[in-house]
Amino acid sequence: MSTLSKPWLQSRFPLLDSFRTYLTAPVLPREKPYLASLPVLIAGALIFQLLSGLVLSLFYNPADAFNSIQFIDRSVNYGWLIHAFHETGTTMIFGAVYLGIFRALWLRNYKAPGELLWFLTLGKFLVLLLIGYLGYVLADGAVSYWSLANSIGGAFGLSGVPGGIGVWFFGGPDGAGTLPRLAVFHGVLAVAMIGILLLHHAARRGAEPPVTRGVSLHPYYTSQIFAAFVIYALIFAVLVFFAPHLGENPLNRGPANPLVLPVTVSPPWYLLPLSNAGHVFVSAWGALFAVLARIALLAALPWLDRSAPGKPPGFPHKCLSLVLALDVILLCVWAMQPSSFIGGILLVLFTAYYFFHFIVLLPLTTALEAR
Amino acid sequence: MRRLLLAGFALACLAAPRAQAEDTLNPPHWQSEGVFGSYDKAALQRGFLVYQTVCAACHSANALHYRDLDGIGFSTEQIAALAAGVKLSTGPATLDDAFKNPYPDPQAAAAAFGGAIPPDLSTIAAARPGGTRYIFNLLTSYAAAPADFLPLPGHYYNTAFPGQQIAMPPPLKDNQVTYADGVAATSAQEASDVAAFLTWAATPNLDASKEIGLRAVLFLIFLAFIAIATKRKIWRETV
Amino acid sequence: MAESLGEIVHETEVIVRRDFLKILNAAAGAVAVGAIAWPFIDALNPTRDALAIAQPIVDVSGIAANTALRFVWMGTPIYIRKLTPKQIADNQFVVTSTLPDPASYTDRVKPGYETFVVVIGLNTATPCELLGNDPADPRGPFDGWTCPCDGSVYDPLGRVRGGPATKNLVIPKFTFLNDAQIQFG
Repeated sequence: MSTLSKPWLQSRFPLLDSFRTYLTAPVLPREKPYLASLPVLIAGALIFQLLSGLVLSLFYNPADAFNSIQFIDRSVNYGWLIHAFHETGTTMIFGAVYLGIFRALWLRNYKAPGELLWFLTLGKFLVLLLIGYLGYVLADGAVSYWSLANSIGGAFGLSGVPGGIGVWFFGGPDGAGTLPRLAVFHGVLAVAMIGILLLHHAARRGAEPPVTRGVSLHPYYTSQIFAAFVIYALIFAVLVFFAPHLGENPLNRGPANPLVLPVTVSPPWYLLPLSNAGHVFVSAWGALFAVLARIALLAALPWLDRSAPGKPPGFPHKCLSLVLALDVILLCVWAMQPSSFIGGILLVLFTAYYFFHFIVLLPLTTALEAR
Repeated sequence: MRRLLLAGFALACLAAPRAQAEDTLNPPHWQSEGVFGSYDKAALQRGFLVYQTVCAACHSANALHYRDLDGIGFSTEQIAALAAGVKLSTGPATLDDAFKNPYPDPQAAAAAFGGAIPPDLSTIAAARPGGTRYIFNLLTSYAAAPADFLPLPGHYYNTAFPGQQIAMPPPLKDNQVTYADGVAATSAQEASDVAAFLTWAATPNLDASKEIGLRAVLFLIFLAFIAIATKRKIWRETV
Repeated sequence: MAESLGEIVHETEVIVRRDFLKILNAAAGAVAVGAIAWPFIDALNPTRDALAIAQPIVDVSGIAANTALRFVWMGTPIYIRKLTPKQIADNQFVVTSTLPDPASYTDRVKPGYETFVVVIGLNTATPCELLGNDPADPRGPFDGWTCPCDGSVYDPLGRVRGGPATKNLVIPKFTFLNDAQIQFG
C-alpha cells in the first residue's frame, strides 16, 4: 500500500483507525498465561463450527435426516471429514468452555469488576448448550430421537410458563415439522453466538482495565494466541482423525427406531454436568428446579464469594474448586450408569455436595480467608 | 551390525504372509484395528462375498451403493458385472443403485419375520459397542441353550446377544462360499471377513482419515514448535 | 521520504535474515489454513450422486437387432441402435472419399462392440430430432435415419448420405462397462 492510497481508505472508513489502535495500543499486561487466550480460541472454534455447519447444511435434509447425513458421509467429497470436523469441534468447544469456567472459578475472575463478564460467560455457556443439544437431536440417531421425544414430553408435562415456553419452542408433539424448525434454530442461534462473543469481549475490557506501560496486542499477543491456536488444532487433529466419535453413545450412529427404546437415553456428554442434577428428582418440576438452581448458584458466585476484591485465591479456595470439579465429573459418570441402589445414593450425595459447596463451604472459606 | 540387520530382514521376508491370509482368527483381530491399521482389501472382498451370498437375502444396506465397492478394490467393470447380476424391481442393478433391499417396505419385512425386522447393516458396525468384535462374536456365539433357559418360539440361544436370545437363525456354515483367493471358508473365517466388510461399510473412509491424520498431526507438531519459538522470540526482542 | 535503492535493499536483507522464524511461522500457518480450507471447498463440488446423473449408465442388453433405444441425457436425445449383419455388410466397405463427411466403419463404432451405434439423435443441419429408430419409421434409402424437417438422410452408422446436412451425427462420450451396460460421460 503506497502512502497515496492509505488516506483514501482511512478517510472513508474510520473504523480502520480504531482497529489499528486496537492492535497497537500498549494497554495489555506484560505477561498473560496461554490459557488466557481461551475466549479467542472459543471464538475461532465457533467460526470453524459455522463454516463446517454451513457446508453440512447444504446437504442436510431435515425431512430425511439420518439418510441425508449418510449421504454426506458417503457421497459428498470430504463430507465425512466436514462431518467429523463439526462433531469433534463440538467436543472441543465445550471442552474449552468448561475449562474456561473452571479457570474463572479457580482464579476468582468473577469478583468485581468482572460480574458482568461472568454473567456473559454463563450466558455464552447456556446458549452454546442449547445449540449443541439441537445439533444432537438433528442427527436423528437411535438415542437422540428418544432424547428429543423425552424433551418434548417433558415440555408438555410441565404446566404454566415453563411448559408454555417449551411447547412454543418445539411447536407441538414430535412430528414432521419438528426437525426442520430445530435446524433453523440451530443455525440462527449459532450465528447469534457471534454477537454474544462480541459482547463478552467488550465486557472483558471492563473487567481487565487498560494497563499503563503495557504491551500491544500485535505482535505480542497475536503470536501467543497463534501458538495457543496451534496447540488447540493439534489436540483437535488427534481427535478428529483418530477418534471422531469420542464421547458419543455408539447406538446413536444407527437410525432412529420409534418402536425400540434404548436402555439408556443419554444426552451428549457436554450436557451431562447440567442434566445430571435432574436424576435426583422424580418429577419434571423437580428436575427443572434442580437445573435452574445450579445455574442460579453459579450466577450468584460474585456475591457468595465473600473474599476481598482483587485478592488472589488462597490454597483452601483452590482445593474447594478442585473438589467441586471432581464432584461434577463424578456426577456425570454416575448419571450415565444404569440405575442401582448405591448409584442412587451416590447421586443424591454428589448433588447435595454441589449445593453444599455454594451455599455453605464457599462463603465460609472465603470469609475466613478475607480475615 | 549390518549383517545382523540383513539376516533379520531375510527372516522377515521368509515370514511374510503369502497368498493365504495370515491367521486372523487366533486370537481374532483385524488389520483395521489400531491407530496405524488399514483395511485388508482381500478380507473386505471375501466379506462382501459372504454378505452377498448370506446376509443380503434378509438384510438391507440402504446407504451403500454399488459404486462404493471401488473402495474394496474392485474395478468399475467388476462392479458393473456384479451389479448386473442383482435383479431390482426396475431391472438389473447399475453402479448407481443402492444395495438391493430384500423387502419393498418395513411392513413386508415385519410380516416375513414375525415382527423381528432384520436391521439395516449400513452402520451396524458403528452402532454397536465393540463394533467389529461384537459382530464376530455374535456370529460365532450360537450355542445350545442351557437346561434352565427356554428361548421364545422362533428365537435361538446366543451368548453374545443382549438377552441371550436372538431371532436370527445361525447364518454361517463352513464352506457356504468359495473364496477366490483360496482361503479356507470356515464359519469363523466367514464371520471374521463379514465383520471386516461391515466395518468398512460403516466407516469407508477410515484409511483416508488415519492417513491424513498422521500427516496433519506431524505437521501441527512441527508448527507448534515454530509458533512457540516465534512467540518467545518476539517477546524477548522488545519487552 | 525518498530512500535510495541501496538502502532499501540492505534493509530488506536484514529483515529477511532476522525474521526468518516469523516468515516460516507465517508460511507454515498459511499452509495449514490452505490444507484445512480445501475439504470445505471440495465439498461443494458435485457429489457422487450428482455425478451419477451426469454420467448415467444404460442397459443395452434388451435392444433387439434393427431397433434403437432412445433416452434423454441432460436434455439431449441419444439413440443406441443395434445393427443387423446386412446393415454392417452394406456399410462396412463404403469408400470414404465418396461420403459428404468421410468416416470409416471403425470410426463410428467402439472396438469389440461393433454391432452398436451410439449417436445424438439430432440432425446436424437443422437440429430436428431424427426418425428411424423403429423399423416402421421412414429410414431413407440407406436404412438409417431421416430428418422430417429438411429431408437429410443418414445411414445406420450415422454418417450423412444426402440432404442439406453435411456433417455426420455426433457421437457422445461413452464407454462400454461390459456387454450389457454403457456409461455416458
